[in-house]
Parts: sequence; C-alpha cells; structure tokens
Amino acid sequence: MATEKEISDFLKSVEKRAFKRAVYAVRGDDAALDIVQDAMIKLTVSYSDRPAAELPMLFQRILSNATMDWFRREKVRSRVIQNLSDFARSEEDGDFDLLESLQVMGDTLGTESAADAVARAQMLRLIESAVAELPGRQREAFLLRYWEEFDVAETAAVMGCSEGSVKTHCSRAVHALAKAMRDKGVNQP
Amino acid sequence: MKPVHQRFDDPTVQALENRLALGLAGALSQQTSALPHDVIERLRFAREQSLEKGRNARLAAPAGQQVLAVSVSGSAALGSTTPWWQRTLGVLPLLLLVAGLLMIQEFSVREQMLATAEVDAVLLADQLPPAAYSDPGFGEYLRSPPP
Repeated sequence: MATEKEISDFLKSVEKRAFKRAVYAVRGDDAALDIVQDAMIKLTVSYSDRPAAELPMLFQRILSNATMDWFRREKVRSRVIQNLSDFARSEEDGDFDLLESLQVMGDTLGTESAADAVARAQMLRLIESAVAELPGRQREAFLLRYWEEFDVAETAAVMGCSEGSVKTHCSRAVHALAKAMRDKGVNQP
Repeated sequence: MKPVHQRFDDPTVQALENRLALGLAGALSQQTSALPHDVIERLRFAREQSLEKGRNARLAAPAGQQVLAVSVSGSAALGSTTPWWQRTLGVLPLLLLVAGLLMIQEFSVREQMLATAEVDAVLLADQLPPAAYSDPGFGEYLRSPPP
C-alpha cells in the first residue's frame, strides 16, 4: 500500500505532464485543471490502498477516463462539438517522403544548437500545436509511449486496446507530427 | 517510394520514429517545465486537496471499526456488525412485555372462571331450584319491597 508521501511525490512528478496532456485533449487550461484534479481525487480516494508501483498506470487510466467523462459532459451540455474530422483524417501524404523527413527531423531535434532562443521557443510551440492537433487516440498513444515512457504493453493496458493498435497509433502519430513539422518548416536546415 | 503502411515494421523506420518521437517528447517536456506560475500553483492546490480528501476517506474507514468497538464494549448502539446475542438482548424487553400481558390475561380469565364457579356452587347448594329465577312471578316477588 502506497504511503501518503509516496502518493504525494508521485502526483507531484506527473501533475504537469498530466495537465499538458489534458490541455492537448480539451484545449483549455481551466478544463484541463478540472480533469487533472478529478483524476487526482479519484486516485487518492479510491486507489490509495494500491502499491506505489501501480500508481503510474492507474493514474494514466484514470486521467484518460476523466478526459472522456469531460467530453461526455460537454456533449450533454452542447457546449463543445467534437471535431469528428480528427477521427477520420485522410492520409494525404502525396509525394511527402516520410523516411527522409523523419531522418532530417530527428537530426534537427537531436541537435541542441540553442543559438536562437526565440526560434527554439517557436519550434516548441509548433510541436505542441502539432501534438494537440493529432487525432485523440494517436495523441494518447504517442504521449503515453514516448512522454510517459510506458512500454507498448503498458500503453495498451491504459488505452484498453491491443499492442498492435498501440504500435500503429504511435507510428501514425510520429509520421503525422513529422509531416506537420515539415509543413511548418521546422525541418529546414 | 513504399506506401506508409508497408513500412511500419521496417527496423530503420522504427528507429527513426523512436528517435524523432523521443526528441518531440523531450521538446514537450521543455514546454511543460515552463508552465505559468498560476497553473503550477493551481496544480499544487489540486494535489493538496486531493490528498486531503484521500486522508479523510482513509480515516472514515477505521471510524466504522471504532463504532463496532464501542458497540462490543456494551453501548446501546446496534449496527449491522453487532453480535447476534446483543441483537437478542435488544428485543428482550419486548418479549418480557408480551409475556406479562399474556400472564395478566390468563389470570383474569381464571378469576372470572372461579367467580362463576362460586356463583354456580351457591345456586346449586340452595334449596330454591335455579329454574325459579327464570320465573317472572318469582322475579317480581324478589323486586317487591318486603312487607
């Protein structure tokens, strides 16, 4: 059973990423904060008897459910109309060379030039924007797999899907991000 | 160029994907570390509130056990966790009341029977036959004042 300090430390370590993850999903700071708080309360009230090692997966699952609950509530209130095009995006790659783009993007991101702080900040904002524009499931898979550093099996457990689906979502997300960044000129040398 | 879906399992592409994804995740982490102060404070407040609620929830569970302990120690509080013999003790006064009422009723019936038997015995022992009391003339004689 996790102690209160372990739970507190855990929440402290994940709260910022959880907030950003919620922001990417709902695109609003206040709603994201509500979602994160709901998830925190759910974890501390209902799952505090679980071992500390189980907290990360539990919390991510709770956060996903809290986000879904938020969308359901918003749908009921008719305040937000979900952009269905997110879930039916066509693969319009055209003559876009993903392999080349991925390689160039990887090199660009891996090199910490930091010569121009403004340009770098702009690039970070572009990346955030591109992540926020990903389809919901792709974004969730990408963030859990690469940001929360879950393995494929853990990501699949949190998302409630197969490992193959996780790999597909992640791959499509990375390709979509690479294309989006290329379109915005981030990969230009 | 191969279509995208044919290259998902290509190790080279996977390595590039992982490299790019980790770079993007690192960029996201940089952005996350630079959250506005008010958001950080609201997150801290949310965390503390949730911990407080969790603490209260944990305290609420042992409170039920304390009620049981008090109950076991002999208080009048009866809960679902109270032993059967204590629940039996709770209905004992009611059982005693019902038994008392039954005894009073039995005593009253017995008294009525004894009184009736005594009257019958006197009537049968008298020289006047009981049928005389059903005669209207004899009744009138009894009601008339003595001469």
